[in-house]
Amino acid sequence: MPAVLTIDPRSGVPIYLQLIEQVKRSVALGILQAGEQLPTVKQLALDLTVNPNTVAKAYRDLEREGVIETAPGRGSFVRADGAEESSRAAADDVARDVIERAVREAKSVGLRRSEVRDLLEQALNHWLPEEA
Amino acid sequence: MSTITIDRIRKSYGSYTAVDDFSVEIPAGTVFGLLGPNGAGKTTTFKAMLGLIRLDGGSVRYDGKPLVPATFERIAYVPERSVLYDWMTVTEHIHMTRSAFKGFVPKMALELLTQFNVDPRKRVRQLSKGMRTATMVALAVARQADTLILDEPTSGLDPINQRHVLNLMINESARGATIVFSSHQIGQVERAAERIAVMDRGKLALEGTVDDLKYGRKIVEGIFPTSDVSLEEFHHDTRLLRVDRDGRIVRLLTKEDATAFAARLEGMGASGVRIVDLNLEDIFLYAVSPALQTADIVEGA
Repeated sequence: MPAVLTIDPRSGVPIYLQLIEQVKRSVALGILQAGEQLPTVKQLALDLTVNPNTVAKAYRDLEREGVIETAPGRGSFVRADGAEESSRAAADDVARDVIERAVREAKSVGLRRSEVRDLLEQALNHWLPEEA
Repeated sequence: MSTITIDRIRKSYGSYTAVDDFSVEIPAGTVFGLLGPNGAGKTTTFKAMLGLIRLDGGSVRYDGKPLVPATFERIAYVPERSVLYDWMTVTEHIHMTRSAFKGFVPKMALELLTQFNVDPRKRVRQLSKGMRTATMVALAVARQADTLILDEPTSGLDPINQRHVLNLMINESARGATIVFSSHQIGQVERAAERIAVMDRGKLALEGTVDDLKYGRKIVEGIFPTSDVSLEEFHHDTRLLRVDRDGRIVRLLTKEDATAFAARLEGMGASGVRIVDLNLEDIFLYAVSPALQTADIVEGA
């Protein structure tokens, strides 16, 4: 499993946020499945060479957001109950981030609302055409 | 495992002030990175933590108490320069360390040396600089101490052994040890350290958790129609560390609330407003050499 998680320590994005984003993405993609066990904090810290408290912080936030659950003494697991919702929520989170960044950038380079909407429409037609 | 309090320490050598009123608290069980340019006072601070120098002022306390021999016994130190004996073999150093320190685990030292690819039968003089560092790290870690003080523990090591040292630090911290280390390789500090302090010319320049520093510190940049927009309102904002103008481009270095500053620039008529993430190296450079960083920014524009 850890093979799907990678981090870029030189990025300006804090490592714990990178971990949260990647776990959510893996859940949304089904790479991490409901009930699947995550590595222990120490194991993931050693696999990625990052501070154990950074991993623990990411796990705590993921637990609070309902993506994973921790059973004392047994480890952390992708939530089995409502895994579908948490995976859906994870997919939403990942997509929202990217769309917000894109709209923000479009605004910053001077595009008007109608122009941004046209571009979104084009992208939707290309990638998500309505089923006939 | 102790919380280490460094409280307003001062140390001069003749007319040269090495450490000047430096304070920082290192919580028990953390991996703490001490950063700074050469000559910033890191090694002097380490020596002060070990009671190896007489301070001109201030104190270092372990769990609130001054350093006593029993505490000193539980601290392992890797100095910046080799303190191994050239004419002795690595195995002889293992025997020597075992007789000096009760908690030392010779078997662990040997395993670590194997990981580092150091042949214990060799004499120290036959080892490269990196191998000597690796040997000192192995001997220190095998003491299973409560506190590890590591002055440049990856210096001279190849990337594989550097990674070994970082993972050893992570492992030791998972065991509950407090680890304080220095390194010029900021990418390593970014990985292994939870908290950092930056020293500059003997003083504290910056302190915090790596995550908080990266989360909060951003450059907010905007382009104005003219180059004479008033930036007066930013000059007294304590959240801002710098306000730079480069023609029509304005850049704010902020500790927090980057989104709010982005909205303010837009409200003032700026276009192309963006928020730039900073990594630890950027943050470090801003903390110790503002002038250099300004030049970089102008160049990059």
